[in-house]
Amino acid sequence: MSSAKYRALVCCRAGMGSSAMLKIKCDQVINEEGYSIATEAGNLDAIQDFDGDLVITMSDLAEELLADAKIAHVAGIRNIVDKKEIKEQLEAFLEAVEA
Amino acid sequence: MLLDLLKEKYVRLGVKASDWREATRLSLAPLLESGAVTQEYVDDVITGAEQHGPYFVVTPRVALPHARPECGALEDALGVTVLDEPVEFGSADNDPVRYLFPLSATSASGHLDALASLVELLSDEDFFAVLDEASSPKEVVDAVRNAERSN
Repeated sequence: MSSAKYRALVCCRAGMGSSAMLKIKCDQVINEEGYSIATEAGNLDAIQDFDGDLVITMSDLAEELLADAKIAHVAGIRNIVDKKEIKEQLEAFLEAVEA
Repeated sequence: MLLDLLKEKYVRLGVKASDWREATRLSLAPLLESGAVTQEYVDDVITGAEQHGPYFVVTPRVALPHARPECGALEDALGVTVLDEPVEFGSADNDPVRYLFPLSATSASGHLDALASLVELLSDEDFFAVLDEASSPKEVVDAVRNAERSN
């Protein structure tokens, strides 16, 4: 089991494909930066049972999810291969929860 | 390995499409014809994008049409479609789309190594230059093979 401080759900509509690829890229950034975040991948239904800290998804889905008050933090990624963008979003999350 | 999923018969170059629906259907057509996906799978991709927006337009100029495994994915498969002229998918960040990688996965957990390779390919400008120049499906498959070797 991971000892990471925060848990993030990486999701897309289908729960495979883009979310799996986005998870791979997020994990690369998390490892390189040493963030204490553990990721799991899932589809939109998985959000209902998710009790972690952050949902990471594509930017267009993020707008939908932000309307859902149940989710405290949503990171919307525009370009799933852009590690700089992913890093900025994860840093923004960490600043928000650790403020 | 991506090469386990990508076959020459799934590659279409110089495709003419008038809108995102046609482009998406045309990209999935070889997978449908080969029996890798059902018609329901194709329809679900379209319906999903109508309801949720272009969720599979993942990086600039690139769409990855796919649906859930249970929506009609019969075989694991990856295609490549290069459009003659790019089309708008309604993605604020990544339009217009010229390259489509239709994907079918029979389980959510399988082929993570292939998807990892695909992510690296999508970060590789040289790969898109090869796609622009390619005149046969074989050239595309060879380019993927070379990229996987060098990673």
